[in-house]
Amino acid sequence: MKTRLCVAVLLASSWASLAAACETAKDSSRIAVAGGSLTEIIHFLGAEERIVAVDTTSDFPAPGRFPNIGYVRALSPEGLLSMRPTLVLGEDDMGPPAALAAVRRLGVPAVRVSETRNALGILAKVRCVAAVLNLAAEAETLIAAQLWPTVETLAGLGAERSDQPKAAFLLGIREGAPLAAGPGTSAHGLLAMAGAKNALQGFEGWKPVSMEAMAAAAPDYIVMGRRGVGAAGGPEQVLAHPALRSTPAGRRSKSGLIVVNDMAALGFGPRTLRSALRLASLLRAEAPAADADQ
Amino acid sequence: MPINRAAVDQAQETSLGGSSSVRNPALWLLAAALCGALALALAVGAMPMPFRDILVGEAAFQRQVLVEIRAPRVALAGLVGAVLAASGAALQGLFRNPLADPGLIGVSGGAALGAVAMIVLGAGPSAGPWAAYALPLAAMLGAMLVTLFLWGFASRYGQFSIVTILLVGIAVNALTAVGVGAFQYLSDDGQLRTLTFWLMGSFGRASWPAVLPAALAMAAAATPLFLVARALDLLQLGESEAFHLGVEVRSLKRRIILCAAAAVGAGVAVSGIIGFVGLVVPHLVRLLGGAGHCWVLPGSALLGAALTILADLLARTIAAPAEIPLSLVTSALGAPFFLWLIARARPI
Repeated sequence: MKTRLCVAVLLASSWASLAAACETAKDSSRIAVAGGSLTEIIHFLGAEERIVAVDTTSDFPAPGRFPNIGYVRALSPEGLLSMRPTLVLGEDDMGPPAALAAVRRLGVPAVRVSETRNALGILAKVRCVAAVLNLAAEAETLIAAQLWPTVETLAGLGAERSDQPKAAFLLGIREGAPLAAGPGTSAHGLLAMAGAKNALQGFEGWKPVSMEAMAAAAPDYIVMGRRGVGAAGGPEQVLAHPALRSTPAGRRSKSGLIVVNDMAALGFGPRTLRSALRLASLLRAEAPAADADQ
Repeated sequence: MPINRAAVDQAQETSLGGSSSVRNPALWLLAAALCGALALALAVGAMPMPFRDILVGEAAFQRQVLVEIRAPRVALAGLVGAVLAASGAALQGLFRNPLADPGLIGVSGGAALGAVAMIVLGAGPSAGPWAAYALPLAAMLGAMLVTLFLWGFASRYGQFSIVTILLVGIAVNALTAVGVGAFQYLSDDGQLRTLTFWLMGSFGRASWPAVLPAALAMAAAATPLFLVARALDLLQLGESEAFHLGVEVRSLKRRIILCAAAAVGAGVAVSGIIGFVGLVVPHLVRLLGGAGHCWVLPGSALLGAALTILADLLARTIAAPAEIPLSLVTSALGAPFFLWLIARARPI
């Protein structure tokens, strides 16, 4: 009983802190954005004219449109402040802490938007940004019209299928071992949203995977970002890689590889919903080889 | 070691010839250069500074940026540059090897390992007000552990010979590299990027509350280095010669290694790894005014401060409002100079 109370209190306090992070900013007329998905969300909310600077991960809707404040984890306080923002809006990993402390000391609020890597997490992110920008009502209209249908479809896809296809998300193939996504990565979240089971479960984060481990994981599909495929020399080269050739995905040649737009798919902004939906439909376009045999 | 002998010869000439003196006019020149670098670095940055308005008490926001962000950063750059260069000069004198630098004895590697461990194992950037201090403390701890280990190992197994320290330093560097590699493997994507940036150095974390304790630690650790100039000059003649001339060689080694390690550790702790300053600046100073340590030690401190301030100025303005990692600048300037040094030393 006591523990349950504790959990309840903890939950309540975590909600309270979440709510505090998404409070309406006093002045959001000039925003410096640190995080590609946040830039995307502000664009989605139609408030792009409030952006004064973005970080290097903000390549949507168009890279190079705003002054660049550097990498989201290596922000420069003077650089940030030189854009005269009234608000700094950043992803969970915005930093370093010392730079944010300096910015706050000079009276500019720096707000972190937390991320949960699933469909509802994306909606929560959009709502949080909307709340900070004082656009909550507009956001609900936009969500209902443009995002909610996709979320529902994705949820339906996940429910209707019990035998999920196994997929492996690779960042790239460099000198031998492919770099694959384990649990705890954005790509793992993307696969889950698309109703696929991550074939690689034994490790956290992005890790190079040996030929044997890849064969043991036996993914039905390989999912890769456009940049990774390009760097590897094209789809044929990827599937011909020794580590992938012997997997079910490699054996089915072309249909075994699904190429996605990495920044859209892994940013966990509104575009990720569409990426997940497209991925889900491609994963179901052709039943895995094992199923076809039956 | 041809390079070695050349340096010793040069050192003998200058120290015995007595051309080195605290009243060396070149020191004033370097001091003037440092003042120039300070003024330039304070005047230029991402935020335009209307100094006329600031002087009459207007432009409060810009004044705040100048006082609370740019000034501590310039101060930290100067201090760390001075400490790295002076430590490098002292270690080069001690090892009688002009290619020695603070990284060589493993101190920077230890600090890097401490910091990387904190980045990967410690709490994330959103872990409250103490997170800002956890990283420098971990780095300092790493540097101190390496120094103590170096100390214990060398005095137990090698009668504390210079070669032992040097070899153990190389081994320690290899070990810390293994540790850093292991943490890189264990890190997630975000941590990996954080530690990559940390390993490339930056003064962007500077604020007065962070700079002041670091400055005290660096000053306290580095001051003894300036008091051993004469002894270092004599040491260039050889260890036994220096001993017969009355130098307590053993305690000299102990003092220099511990002080350099502590000073570099404190510097690295707040600014990350900054390449080539400790290696290159003492050489520039020797080129300017000879190899006597009464000149080289303070000269290196002044020039190290000036050059590091200018390197940081480049790092924070070249891509403004973003900044580029400091080691990109120092290494881009230092590495070609280093090659030139080797090419120059070869025919001797």
